[in-house]
Amino acid sequence: MMPKNDFCTGVLYSHDRWTNYWEGTLKRDNGNIGSVTTQVITWVGNYGITDKLNVIAMLPYVKTEASQGTMQGMDGLQDLTLGVKYQAVSAAVGSGTFRGFVTGMASTPLSNYTPDFLPLSIGLASTNVGGRLTGNYTWENGLYLNVSAGYTWRSNVTLDRPSYFTDGRIYFTNEVQMPNVFDYNADLGYLRNGLQLVVTYQQQNVLGGGDIRRQDMPFVSNRMNFSRVGALVMYYLPFHKNLAVRAMVNQTVAGRNVGESTTLLGGFLYTLHFGAKETKTE
Amino acid sequence: MKSKLYFFISLLWLSTLLISCDKEVDGVEELPALRPASTDGDAGGWQMVLLTSPSQITLPAPAATNSVSYQAELAAIKDAQSKLTDAQRATVQYWSAGGTLRWNQILRGLVARFNLPPSPNADGTYPTPDAENPFANPEFPFANPPYSARAYSYVSVAQYDALKAAWFYKSSFNRAAPYTVDSGVKALVPTSDLPAYPSEDAVLSGVTAEMLKILFPAAVEEITLLAADQRNAAIWSGKASYSDVSAGFALGKAVATIFTANSTGVFTIPASAGSSTTTLTLNLATRGRFRTDGMGAAIGTPALWKELQDSVGFGDFYKTNQQPWLSLETPARPPMLPNFGKVAAWLITPAQLVAERPMPPPSTSSEQMARELAEVKSFTENASREQIAIVHKWADGVGTYTPPGHWNDIAAEYIAQANMSEVRAARAFALLNMALHNAGVGCWETKYHYFNPRPSQLDASIKTWTGVPNFPAYTSGHSTFSGAASSVLSYLFPAATSFFEREATEASLSRLYGGIHYRSDCEAGLEHGKQLASYTINFALADGADD
Repeated sequence: MMPKNDFCTGVLYSHDRWTNYWEGTLKRDNGNIGSVTTQVITWVGNYGITDKLNVIAMLPYVKTEASQGTMQGMDGLQDLTLGVKYQAVSAAVGSGTFRGFVTGMASTPLSNYTPDFLPLSIGLASTNVGGRLTGNYTWENGLYLNVSAGYTWRSNVTLDRPSYFTDGRIYFTNEVQMPNVFDYNADLGYLRNGLQLVVTYQQQNVLGGGDIRRQDMPFVSNRMNFSRVGALVMYYLPFHKNLAVRAMVNQTVAGRNVGESTTLLGGFLYTLHFGAKETKTE
Repeated sequence: MKSKLYFFISLLWLSTLLISCDKEVDGVEELPALRPASTDGDAGGWQMVLLTSPSQITLPAPAATNSVSYQAELAAIKDAQSKLTDAQRATVQYWSAGGTLRWNQILRGLVARFNLPPSPNADGTYPTPDAENPFANPEFPFANPPYSARAYSYVSVAQYDALKAAWFYKSSFNRAAPYTVDSGVKALVPTSDLPAYPSEDAVLSGVTAEMLKILFPAAVEEITLLAADQRNAAIWSGKASYSDVSAGFALGKAVATIFTANSTGVFTIPASAGSSTTTLTLNLATRGRFRTDGMGAAIGTPALWKELQDSVGFGDFYKTNQQPWLSLETPARPPMLPNFGKVAAWLITPAQLVAERPMPPPSTSSEQMARELAEVKSFTENASREQIAIVHKWADGVGTYTPPGHWNDIAAEYIAQANMSEVRAARAFALLNMALHNAGVGCWETKYHYFNPRPSQLDASIKTWTGVPNFPAYTSGHSTFSGAASSVLSYLFPAATSFFEREATEASLSRLYGGIHYRSDCEAGLEHGKQLASYTINFALADGADD
């Protein structure tokens, strides 16, 4: 959590690449796309309204590309996410502290991109509203465990075509029902002296949707499930303690209707102190 | 602190409002119950397409309505109506929209379901869908645009001929519908003076199911269940009796058999080593058009694919700096149905088809081709959002109902609004789909005559906004299909001519915007399609339906 009147903002770059993907549950490669690379530059901001209430914003610019075949890559401004995070519980438990957070998020596309050119579309184009519960236990020595679960409602999306086939039948409409999403993750981290080290596990389950059929194209409402593991390092630079650098690696280890992707992320975050107390301490 | 919490809760609540909680998409084309403006009582005299006459199949006369057997049928209807479940009422309502329209929707769904190319084998070859083993991977068929154009046409033409035969017997025997004969039978659908024997719903059930079962054998369960629903709905609705339905069902199946008879009566018994091949022989008449139209050879052979690859078969045209087509897929896939251009067309002779073939495309080494290639590249690099939407609106690629299906989709809306009788609706679909099939045959004949490469083959830096089809570029299939369809629909619904022409032009240009066709492919295709459609329209002008 950001303390009251602190504003943390930064820019993150990520590079995601996959060659194999799961066509339904069948893992395969495809010579007509080769490897699909998705690069994202994301602006993030996090402001402390109070010590217990933060607002969060994210805005990514996405660029996709296939290494083989003839398909065009796409690029553009994707979805603006706004969120509110509230620390509902904080209590000393044993030798450490337990904290509980409630987060509400909403996102919507900021550009009129098409979600109907997967795997090269820059997003799925639905407007989403999500809620998340997070529990954090931090030991005195700086070790912590974070467990969180979220549920995301997704609005229907509109295609540029008058019919489509998915999940075993044809639909004579351009409107696609987007199943909702459940996800959970667990992070084991260490935070001490401006150094943060985390290993992560993330699981997403789409609560409905069809599989990609044999040799078919992916579709926006497919059941895109995945399990991902990752590691993150964040370091507050000693020569300028308001500036932090962040690096992360993620690997999809199991999935359905998604790529077996490896993601590298790097970026910096800068904290601005707008509060009155800041002027006297620093 | 409390106020912060309220702020947070109201933010969540507000954002939930952005999304309607009821997001169910049923995606079913809603159709009202059919109320034909005319019964088209003279349709038994309209020109047949394949049948020699409406009485080619002799239908026995029905029992009189005061006979004991018919009275028992009426009692059975009344009994069934007294026990109808909600599901049965829904079935009646579904089919009340008209069997021709409903089966067209079902057919579009089947095409989309089976429109998947075989995935490659580990060794880089491709398996071939096998009609004798349709459930295996790859499933049979691969309902690509030529396959589906032919499928739409066979279903529509067989339905149309079968209904004309039905109308012939309806007016011959003039047996009224059960709800007219007996006031105790409820009419659960709009009533009509159309005679009930044979039942048009049962005719459609029989003829359509027989055609679909050979076109989409892996969907046999769904097809037979739907066909049975349609026959039941005819009885439950009070519009047909058991004997109306049985006669109609038999007539429908008999008409389908004229199209599909698959035997000269000789079955080969392969020999094992050391013995000679024997045969099992029956004494049957000729095979149907469906079996002898050349589709069996359309896929070609490895020898033909090799010959095409080496462009041996292309004579002088390919001796002068002309690059032949190559598959852009990885691994390279044999070209789609190279002999489809030799498949029989409807009401056009092979010689006429060749005579209608467009002039050659610009040579791949010509200045004009360089200009057209540059235009394609410019469209792909500078595509507007609107142009990408047009590309995707008309892409109709893998997993869709194909361009012929898209034009059936467009036509269905106009047919549904026109309050046509079943037989007139069937005529509309038959005319449209004969022209679409002819467009497919003519276009494929042209494609494999000139064997012209796609833009991305001549310039690998051209990246496309839709998949590159695995067959030669000249002429554009979408353009040919669209030119043919818009011409036939303009004949059927002249008030909407400008709309159909606008859609056809947009469909045609979508392939240029998408980066998979040169402008000359699109323009020549659109013109070719219109030209081929004139044969179908000339048939329609003289078939007796407009009198």
